[in-house]
Amino acid sequence: MKAFDSYNPIVLFVYFLTVTVISMFAFNPVMIAIALVSGFLSTLTLAREGCGRFFIYAAFIFIVTSAANPVFSHNGVTVLFVMNDNPVTLEAVLYGVAMGTLICAILMLMRIFTKIMTGDKMLYIMGSASPKLALLISMTFRFIPLFHRQAVKTERTQRALGRYTEENAIDTIRMKLKIFSMMTTWGLENGIVTADSMSARGYGTGRRTSFSVYRFRRTDAVLLAVLAVFAGTIAYLIATDAVKFSYYPKMSGIAHTPAAIVCYVLYGLMCMLPVMNELEEKIKWRYLESRILGSPIR
Amino acid sequence: MVVIKSSGLRAALKIIIPFIAIPALVLIGVYVFEDKMYAYISLVITILSIVLFISGFEQRKIGTRRMVLVVVLTVMSVVGRFFPLIKPVTAITVIAGIYLGGEAGFLVGAISAVISNFFWGQGPWTPFQMFAWGLIGLIAGLAAKPLKKSRAVLLTYGALAGMLFSFIMDIWTVLWYNNGFDVKLYLAAISTAVPMTVVYAASNVIFLFFLADPIGRKLDRIKTVYGI
Repeated sequence: MKAFDSYNPIVLFVYFLTVTVISMFAFNPVMIAIALVSGFLSTLTLAREGCGRFFIYAAFIFIVTSAANPVFSHNGVTVLFVMNDNPVTLEAVLYGVAMGTLICAILMLMRIFTKIMTGDKMLYIMGSASPKLALLISMTFRFIPLFHRQAVKTERTQRALGRYTEENAIDTIRMKLKIFSMMTTWGLENGIVTADSMSARGYGTGRRTSFSVYRFRRTDAVLLAVLAVFAGTIAYLIATDAVKFSYYPKMSGIAHTPAAIVCYVLYGLMCMLPVMNELEEKIKWRYLESRILGSPIR
Repeated sequence: MVVIKSSGLRAALKIIIPFIAIPALVLIGVYVFEDKMYAYISLVITILSIVLFISGFEQRKIGTRRMVLVVVLTVMSVVGRFFPLIKPVTAITVIAGIYLGGEAGFLVGAISAVISNFFWGQGPWTPFQMFAWGLIGLIAGLAAKPLKKSRAVLLTYGALAGMLFSFIMDIWTVLWYNNGFDVKLYLAAISTAVPMTVVYAASNVIFLFFLADPIGRKLDRIKTVYGI
């Protein structure tokens, strides 16, 4: 459990939505760099498990996406060299690198989103919008392990009966499909039983409500308000071209007016919010611990 | 949180979204943002069309049994996505569309996308996957008669659906990457995706070839036996 988990799912969803939308608007190199660094740091603090493989994958995506642009786009005035009668320009290369970095940053953000917004939280959000859809999704989640167990049982039974052959690849595929087909029969029959049981217990007689353990606390309101102020300011600054940056035909300079710096700082703070939250919690924990140790009652 | 609790609002959404919100968004995109926001506008429109569909689903009374059948088929397709390389999601979505109707097809496709992305990673691409798979199921439902009658048509549709999925996803890739649509980049994206597209199309054909009849028969049987 991370500190950021303790917020209300709706607030978390709004947070991720806002950061993603703003990051996708951020073509300014400084903002892209901020997005990448904060994505990297948040991955390390919030979603460390299996991040090595993920970084390799992200690097691959980065290489492909940044290489694609100069090959297909010939805008820009600074020609580096000519390939197949097509000029490869510095601007196109840098645009490719910027977009590749941005895509990697968004991938990192989304990985953290997937880690933090677990199934139950998404269900809570969807349940408030469409109870029926939420029911469908939650039943699907419930059926996955159930089906898995039943599939293992079916396969073992088939093996015990000597009806499961895997002498060659085609045999294996055929047997897998056979199990799949058996599972379908079982699943459909079982589903009907479930449906009848639901009806018998009164499903569909009243309006559907959904249960949730989440409450809207004061900290949620604070986070939402902070988010609104930050996002509003950043959106205003982007809309008024305070951090405008153009790659074509010639790259413009990086904006460093006070307004632009405010925008960078606010964006950085917004992106780093989960990391800061986690650190704050860690520091608090250490502080409390040391106070206990230092207290007269040992 | 109250989003669409009242049925009146939901009914209003059904009119507002297609006739006011989507055209307005397109116009805002053209005139206010001067055509720079293709990716966002297409994302928002995709989400709105899914909302539209869901609000229709929310309103209608469908039987509990029918609903559970949708769940079962969704589970089969999600579980199938764990097979290496070849995925039966499209095949099962098509089968659901043919035998349970277009709405069921849309739901199986869209929900499979959401659920399996809990394992494979959510992102701005989730709505597009929902939309692409949902559409494949919906079309299968609308064209149920010819698809049911002729195997050749079914397998062709399976192959086409694999391509359709890839093409829809690549539109989004290009829109986002290039901040606007570019035919050359789109063709490049499609051609780099050719191996994946071939795998999609081939696995659809294989799964439909092996599964369409047995699962179809089972669904028909269930429908007869339990009167759905």
